[in-house]
Formats: sequence, structure tokens, C-alpha cells
Amino acid sequence: MADQLDNQHVLLTGVTGFVGEALLQLMLAEVPGVRVTVLVRPKGSTTGTARTASLLKKPIFADIVEAAGGVEALMAARVAVLEGDLSDTPALPTDLDAIVHCAGDVSFDPPVDEGFRTNVQGTRELLARVREAGNDIHYVHISTAYVAGRRRGSIPEGPVPQVVDLEAELRWGLGQREEIEHRSRGSEVLTAERKRAEKEHSRAGLLTAANATEEARKQWVKDELVRVGTERARSLGWTDCYTFTKALGERVVEEHAQTNRVSIVRPSIIESALEKPYPGWIEGFKMMEPLILAYGRGELPDMPGAPDTTVDVVPVDHVVAAIVAVLAHPPEVGTPEYYHVSSGDRNPLTFSNLYQSVRGYFDEHPFHAGDRGATRLPEWRFPGSQSVERLLSTSERAFKVADFVIGHAPRSDRARDLARKLDQQGRRLEFLRRYMGLYQEYAQAELRYSDKNTLALYRSLSPEDQETFAFDTAVVDWKVYLQDIHCPAVTAPIRRLDEVRAARRKPQATAAKGLVEKPGVAAFFDMDGTLLSSNVIETYLWLRLRELSGTERFSELSRMAAKVPSLVAAERRERSAFLRSVYREYDGARLADLDAIADEYLTDHVLARLSPSAVRRIREHRAAGHQTVLITGAVRPLTRPLMPLFDHIEAAELATDDRGVCTGYLASSPLVGESRAAWMESYAAEHGIDLKASFGYADSHSDLPLLAAVGNPVAVRPDVPLFRHARKSRWTIVDWSSSTASTRTLNPAGGR
Amino acid sequence: MSRPGFVLEVDDRTPPLIVHEGLGFRLENFPLGTRVVYPPESLPAVPDVDETIREALLNPVDSDPLPTQLFAGMKLTIAFDDLSLPLPTMRPPDIRGRIIEHVLTMAAEAGVDDVELIAANALHRRMTAAELKHIVGERVFRSFYPQGKLYNFDAEDRDNLSHLGTTEKGEDIEISKRAAESDLLVYVNVNLVAMDGGHKSVGIGLASYKSLRHHHNAKTMVHSRSFMDHKHSAMHHSAWRMGRVIKDTVKVFQIETTLNNDIFPKPYEFLQKREWEWSVKDQASMLAVRRGLSVAPQKMRHKLFHDMRSVYGLTGVNAGEVEAVHERTLQKVHQQHCVEVQGQSDVLVMGIPYVGPYNVNSSLNPILATCMGLGYYFNSYRGQPVVRKGGAVILYHPLNEGFNQLHHPSYVDFYEEVLAESTDPAVVGEKYEQQFAQDPWYRHLYRTSHAYHGVHPFYMWYWSAHAMDHVDDVIWVGADRRVAARLGFRAASTLQDALEMASGTVGRSPSITYLHNPPHLLADVR
Repeated sequence: MADQLDNQHVLLTGVTGFVGEALLQLMLAEVPGVRVTVLVRPKGSTTGTARTASLLKKPIFADIVEAAGGVEALMAARVAVLEGDLSDTPALPTDLDAIVHCAGDVSFDPPVDEGFRTNVQGTRELLARVREAGNDIHYVHISTAYVAGRRRGSIPEGPVPQVVDLEAELRWGLGQREEIEHRSRGSEVLTAERKRAEKEHSRAGLLTAANATEEARKQWVKDELVRVGTERARSLGWTDCYTFTKALGERVVEEHAQTNRVSIVRPSIIESALEKPYPGWIEGFKMMEPLILAYGRGELPDMPGAPDTTVDVVPVDHVVAAIVAVLAHPPEVGTPEYYHVSSGDRNPLTFSNLYQSVRGYFDEHPFHAGDRGATRLPEWRFPGSQSVERLLSTSERAFKVADFVIGHAPRSDRARDLARKLDQQGRRLEFLRRYMGLYQEYAQAELRYSDKNTLALYRSLSPEDQETFAFDTAVVDWKVYLQDIHCPAVTAPIRRLDEVRAARRKPQATAAKGLVEKPGVAAFFDMDGTLLSSNVIETYLWLRLRELSGTERFSELSRMAAKVPSLVAAERRERSAFLRSVYREYDGARLADLDAIADEYLTDHVLARLSPSAVRRIREHRAAGHQTVLITGAVRPLTRPLMPLFDHIEAAELATDDRGVCTGYLASSPLVGESRAAWMESYAAEHGIDLKASFGYADSHSDLPLLAAVGNPVAVRPDVPLFRHARKSRWTIVDWSSSTASTRTLNPAGGR
Repeated sequence: MSRPGFVLEVDDRTPPLIVHEGLGFRLENFPLGTRVVYPPESLPAVPDVDETIREALLNPVDSDPLPTQLFAGMKLTIAFDDLSLPLPTMRPPDIRGRIIEHVLTMAAEAGVDDVELIAANALHRRMTAAELKHIVGERVFRSFYPQGKLYNFDAEDRDNLSHLGTTEKGEDIEISKRAAESDLLVYVNVNLVAMDGGHKSVGIGLASYKSLRHHHNAKTMVHSRSFMDHKHSAMHHSAWRMGRVIKDTVKVFQIETTLNNDIFPKPYEFLQKREWEWSVKDQASMLAVRRGLSVAPQKMRHKLFHDMRSVYGLTGVNAGEVEAVHERTLQKVHQQHCVEVQGQSDVLVMGIPYVGPYNVNSSLNPILATCMGLGYYFNSYRGQPVVRKGGAVILYHPLNEGFNQLHHPSYVDFYEEVLAESTDPAVVGEKYEQQFAQDPWYRHLYRTSHAYHGVHPFYMWYWSAHAMDHVDDVIWVGADRRVAARLGFRAASTLQDALEMASGTVGRSPSITYLHNPPHLLADVR
């Protein structure tokens, strides 16, 4: 075969992908006479040549590179690079003998426009260039066996029967992005997203909510593009957008085949190498890996498939060997050849066998979940897709309810812990939903890909070639392949990661970063909940009850207790509205009296509730030469005990009339949510502070803008929404507890 | 007539014995042969308190009668011990208030109108108005507090301190300026235990950090053996040197009072009786209290104990020249507290009660608990320590009360930062004492809030230095393990486990002594 390909010039696309890389390796290693040109897209500032050079530095090319005397020498002698992109294919060299097109979008759920662009449009443009380059170029198209779509039974190696209007679908597909972007800006989508975002973020401020709305809109566009693609594919009898566009791509190729030599190779599920370049060689995660890993982690409770369904898997070295063989045997013009590279017809791997083998592997070599021993593996019963779906949707409903409850729970360590676990559960459910949706079709596909043509090609090879370019999939022993080759290869990177993680040992939660002495740095602190365990209602009562007699106290307490539900609702909605309604209660109080009471009684109240860790942190900042700033919605007199700790205190001022009596209004808007961030920016500008190097400490979701404004945000005993945000953004989370059991000053005269 | 203290040897017939542990107590079965030291029963109180006070003021020791020292136009200052004495707090009226009333009456008769009352709280926390009122009484409080003539001493008020010179050993003497410049300084003390009073009253109660640092340090405390015995206490020697200098400049009229051991009021009287003498009623109250404590939340137990007010009986008042008065006072104190103990033992067992001098109306944090055990109780000896050199100390306290952020802010940092690095009193003092003593935030809290001075936790640790130096093993029964470890000690769940753990130090059948304290006792170890 090497002789047949001697002196030939072959163009490869998609060499940076899994199959392309394997193909390039095989051709360089086993077909010494062939010259290769690779079509590589520049990525960012990296040229196609540079990408090819770094590709050739990978270990599987080591021997070839060494034999050629270095990467440059190898590229000069045998690997030419054609810089270009399939969306705008450059002119091809004119001395080509063959082309192997293995570039394509490999994800199952691409946005519909991308699927059409790469799999249909891209192929069409490439073929136009092929016709420009010469009349007798052998075009090898790498498709997928699953272009058969939702058909059942034995699938022959021939064209997919279809009645689809290619041009109409292509126009529709390419136009979807614009269409959906357009729709996403309509009031229907935006109103719903905005309402959701405001419900969640209104405490932090409307700007934060607006940002969240825009994020949600972008996400909606992404999801919608996938959704319409899948729907259209299913309405025409395909499983998803990927197979649909691949099938349409074949139609384009078939048109070209009328005047040119064309072979179409349709591998099924391509997995790690059986023998070459070495057993278990795999790049990135393909179709089965996420499921295998999830199973090994104990997160895949069952599978919506029948145990006797065939999972059609082929090792990558068989696929590329078949491609080389196809290259060496060009068909006649006008009669395209089809080759299934598949295993299901002659050496089927059933779902239950796959499960047994994978389970067997993990029984022998379990993952270790942290330091808690081996993971427990779920027992699959293959109960049918309906009951799996039921299980999944019940879990999703339960998750929603739990999520609502935990989002409204008062803050506590338990709530935070539950939120963390719930989020983990939510991620698992999302994963399950996604993969179940994608793979359900494949897990239920009752079809067999006949590979007579491929087998005939294999049998026609000389015994030496049969050994060098092995692609008879009947030789694979699935148990050995899965347990000794595939699973170890797939799990190796995860195990390495686990080891690194175990070695790193989780640092203590409270270990905030050490402080570096630096000018122009400030630390911004929130007060209630962060520095001390207290809130504005409590301090209000402390201030007012002092003036009242026993019965008046009782009636005041009952009055406030009756107001609590509406105050809580106000707090959830908008922090400033809440503050205003509490401060309204100060109506009629004399400011001077409040000051006196604050000085006499509240100093103790505040100091007794101060968190020692918070004070230590503030003092550390001061020692490091940082400015310390307190930002609070509490009234000014309450901050007086803390004055020595801060360079600046920004507190709420109660407005008074000319007699010094509080009007129940504030002198200016309370500093909450986004106005804190805005205030911080102006403060920073005024005092020459670098916010990126500064610190922020706060405890509640309404302080999100305060934390987001600085480079070192720290969430202190956060409420659940802030906790979630902090975890997602990898912010430091600390637990500054203040003594709840602070002893009230007892009456030394005694009770009796 | 009250019975003297005695040493019980545990045998088959000994019932389980009360051991205090913070906000509660337990009944412990001690190994056979354990020596249990019981304090003497309460001495009889004087029949007429007012008469006794007047008698002491009119016939002072080595001094002119108080009325003859008072004259119109003079500057009179009355200093008095703060709320760290007595323990627990006295049921009103407080004896100090009653004495102050007598002094004020005599001053009024003499036409004295420049009078100020200063609480001698040194580096202790400022007392609240209510606490001051409790000590001086409602009438005195009403007449002096609003005018600012009744106040807490401020050891950081540089303008109101005066440096009286140094002792022959170069120790600074810096005390309240008002006290130093008065024509007469009357000091009203409560001499609860042997370490109080004498030159410790003015020389320490009204002194600043500059003065205190000379004797409140690890080196001095290791050589105070014990600080309950002023003749063998390096700390007291220093205070005495200072007192003699003070005496040359300031005219001090010392009034010392002694109390009996009536600590526990009804219904807790069983706590100061000998267990085998409990009546049916005592047993019933014991069971009721025990049951109540076991179900009560910590906050309620805290309230239950800290609301307790003792019905002390006054056993004597002595007034006049400091040293002569103190001699007489100590006699009375020893009469009430001393128990003769023959020889040392391998293991010393002590139960830490809920209150110490520094957590009145507050919480007994781990550092204070250590100070109570290894400081006060360990040092309650004369002659030689109850436990032999290289022996073991077993303490009972859960160490779970946490820190009162209002009263003990520097303690938290001492615990989190200093003790995390070293628990050696000399090392921590060397490295951190200055930093804590001069910290502006602690100073601010000490002066304006109700916080102990920044350096105070160090003193607590020095207080324990002698014990840490003397014994090889300290084990806490029923304590939080992490807290005990931070303090540099170990925790055991039962006495048996503790003895098992100590066996490496003292062998498998050590001699054990349990100090049945409170009520207060002073072991006279021969």
C-alpha cells in the first residue's frame, strides 16, 4: 500500500482534531513516500504553521521527528502547511492527488448555525476549491455512521435516502443566529428574564439586575440555537443537529461525486486506540468518557437504554488505518464508495456488556472520593427510558423546591452547607439531564451498520498491510479493550488531578490572604452582620426602649413584632426601602437624646457583639498601612464606638427639624447596594486608592456591588445567595463569629 | 463555735464529693486514700457591724483616730477595692459602702468638702454605674457620682498620674495623682484572701502599668511562693518596697475588713457543708439543682450562678497604719482559711468554680480558668506547694464559656495569636507584652468601654507561671480538647482517665490531694 501511495500529495484537514492527528501520525510513520499538506486555521496570534509545529512536538510524533532530524526538517521534507479556514477556504495546491476532510464540528449539540456552517457550507466551499485545483483529485470525506438518523435495522454502505430540500435548510440554518438574536431582544424574552433577575438581585441594585438580565439573554440565545437545531433535526428523522448536518454534508459531497472520485468513510463512535500509536492513546474527551467518569464517581444512577442495544464503538487506529486504505484505493468517477468503520454488525458490544466491563474496571480500580475510601458504584437495572426520565424529573422538581427553600432560609452555617450540597446536586442533575437527552437516542438506536465494503477492502490487502493497517473490528475483545486499555487511559488524568488535590489539602476556610504593606490600599467593611451580630431593628429597639416604661415597652415590642413580616419582605426586595421604613420609626425622637443613649448604653451593646476576628483583621489592615473604611446603613451614633478603628466612617444621618427632633427621614439616601460601589469609586479617586488592590468585607447579597468593586473581596458568614456567588467567583469566604452568648451586664445588686 | 478545717482521707464510707466545674458541679468518687482538704467552717460574725466600724476608726492601730486627721479645707480621697472582691459579690449593703458612709460622716463633721472617691481598679475594667452604686451604696452614689467625684481609676490618663520616685531596686512608683496629692488617702479594702491588702492596696490598686510591670511579670511570679504568703512572695516584696516609699509621701489610712466563709446562700448551702453531713433537705436541694443545671441552657446556668449574692458575715475591721493593720487582718484571714496539711502529694486535684476575680458579671474564659486553677488555687498554700515538684495537677472545668468581647477583647487575641505560638510565660512576655500594653485600640477600650487593659491576659498567664514551672503535667477533666491543647495542656473525660494519663509522670498509684475549695482555704503544708 505504501507503494501505491508513494510520491502522492495528500491534503488533510482537521489535523488538530483527534482523528486528524492520528491519521497524520499513521501516514508519517507508515507511508514514507507520501507528502502531506495540512490545512490549519490560525488561532489568535498563533499561525497555522506554529500550531502544526507544536502538534508535531507531541509524544506520539517523537520517533518520526527524531528520524527526520527535528520538527523543522520534518515539516520541510514532508508536511507543508496551508494557512486557512474552512469558512473561507484558500486556494489549494494544484498538484494534489487526494484530500482527506476530517474537519468538522464534533459536538452533538452545536448551535444550529455553526453546525450548518462547518458541516454543510464548509464542505461545499472546500469542494469548490477542490474542483478549481484539479480534475482528478480523490476526495475522502469523513462522515459518521449516525447519518442514518433514526432509522432501524441493518444500514447498508450507501447514500442516505432523503428528501430534504438542501438549499432551503441551509438558508434556514445559517439565518438562525440573526433570527434568534433578534427574538431575544423582544419584550417576551426580556420581560421574563428581567423579572427573574430583579427578583434575585434587586437587593444589590438595579444595575446588578440589569447585568444579570443581559447575561441571561445571551445564555438564552445559546440555548435556543441548540434547541431549534435539535427540533428541526428530529422533525426530519435525525437524532440531533450534528447527524442532520452531517447527512446534508454527504448530499453536498454526492453532488461533487458525479464528476469526481469520492469516497465517504463513516466511522461510528471513535474511542481510544487499540494498538497504535500506543494502546489507550486518546486526546480529549469523546462521547463515552464523561459517562464512564460520571459512573466511576457514582453519579450516574441508571441509563435510559435497553441492555441489548448495541453500542457501536471503534478504536481510532482502526478508523485511520481504514482511511489510509481508502486513500490507496480510489474509486471510479461518478460512483462514490461508502465505507462503514463500525463494529456492531460482526462484533457487537451490547449495553449490558459495556456496563459490566466498566463496572468491573471500577470495582478493581475505584476512584477515591477524598479521604472517604472508594466511591460506591450504582447498580444499573436498565429500567427503560420512561422510569429513568421519571426519576430525573422528580429529582429536578425536588431540587427546585429545595432551592427555593434554601434561597429563603435565614443565614446559618447549616443553610450554607445545605446550599453547597444542593448546588453540587444541581450540577449533577444538569449533567444528567444534558447527557441523558443527548445519548438517549444513541442508547436506544436499534440499528446495525453493515461493513461489508470495508471488510472487502481489508481482505484485499496484502498480509503485511493487514498487519500494519489493521481495521478489522471483529478482532477487538471488548472486555480487554475496555478494562485494560480504554478505562485506564480515560481515568488517568482524573486520578492525577485527584492526587494533586489530595496533596494540596484544603486550606483552612478562615485563612484569608496575608496582608502586604502597600500604600494606596483600602479595606472597606460593612457593619451589621459583618463586624457584629446585630441589625438595624435590634439597635432601633435598644435605642427606643430605653426611654419607655414597662407597659410602653411591651406595646412598642408588639408593634414592631407585627411589622416584622413586612420589613422582611422589604428587606428581600430592596435594602434601601427597608432602611427607610425602619428609620421612619425614629420620627419624633430627639437626636441629642439618641446620641446620649447611644453613648451610654449602645457602646457596650456594639462592642459586646463585635467579632474578634473582624477587629483583628481591621487592625491587621491598619498595621499594613492600609486605609480602613466603614460603610454602613446604620445611623451615625452607633458607629461611634468603632471610630478608633477606621480612617473614615460612612453612616446614615438622621434628618432633624430646627428643634433637633428627628423627622423620620434620612438626611441623604442610605448607602446601600450599588451606591456603595459608586461611593467607593469616588472615595478611591479622591484618596488615591487602587481599588484593584483593595479589600472588601461584607455578609449579604445586597453588598455584592461593594465586593465586586474591589480586587480582594471577602464574604463574611454570607447569606445563601452571596455564598453561592462567592463560591462561583472563587472569593474568599471567612467565618467571623461574634459571641452570641455575650453576657448582658447583670445587675450587681442581684435579683433578690 | 465553728469547726476548724481538716483533711479527710477517702475510705469505703466516703460519699461522692462535690467538685466545682464552671457553671455546675459534679459528684466525684475519689480513689481510696485521697486526701481531701476542707476549709474551716465560717467564723462567727461580729454582732454589730456599725459599732465595729466606728470602734476601728476611733481606735486605729499605730495611728491617730480618723476624726483627728480630718480638718476643714483638706483634700480627702477615699479609694476602695473594685468588684473583683469579694467573690462572689456580697449581698447589699456592701461592707465598703458602710465603711465609706462612716468615713464621710466623720469628714462632714470635720467640715471637709473636697472629697473624691476612686475605685482602685488598676488595669481592671471600668465598673459600670450600677456596679459602683452597688459597692458604695445608693446614698453615696447619688451624692458623688453625678458630680464626677466618684469614678474609676484610669491608669492610662497620663495627666492624672504622678510619679513618686523609685525604690532602692529601681522600681518606678506611679499612682493616681489625686491620691498622691491628697492630705489623707483612706483606703477601704475587702481582705477576702491572704494575698489582698497591705501595701498591695494603694501600691497596686491605684498604680499604672509603668509601676505594675516591675512585679507583674513571669520572673517575679515564679519566685512568689506563694503569693498568698506575702513574706515569701517576690511580688509582695516589691509591693512592700513601693508601699514604704508611698508612705513617705502620702498619708494613708488603711481600713481592712475580713469576711467569713458564708459564700453560698440558700438554696445552695449544701455546697459548703461536708457531704456526709447533708440533711435530707440538703440532698433534695442538691438533686434539684443538679437536675435543673443538667437541662438548663448555658445562658440560664450563667444567670443562675452569677445572680448569686453571698451573705458574708463580717469577722473584723482593722484601721490605721498599713503594715500593722495588715498583720492583724492576716491573723483573721488565716484563722478562717488555714488548714494544716502534712506533706506534699503527687497529684493535686482542684475544681474551678464559675467565678474568679476577673469575670464578675462576665464569662470565665479559658485563660481566666487557667489563672483560677494554676494561679489562685495552686498558690493557696503556705510553706510548700500541696503537690510535689514534678507532680501533676488535675483541674475540672469545661473551658467552653468563650470570651466576653466587651470585657476581655485583648484576651481573644492573646488566645488566638500569642498562645498559638507559645505557652511559656517568660517567652510570651518577652515577645508580646509591650505590644499589647501599648496597643492604642486596647487602651481606647480600657479607657472608654469596660475592657480589661491590653496587658491583662499576660498577667493571668504570669499568675500561673509558678505552677507551670513546678508541675510536669496539667490535665483538665471534662474540658474542650482543642481549648486545652491551645493552652498547652491535655484534657481527659474522667478523673480515672486523667490519672491514667498522669501515670507517666507520677506512677500508677500516686498520692492524691483534693482541695475542697470553695469556700476558700489556705493549705498550710508542713
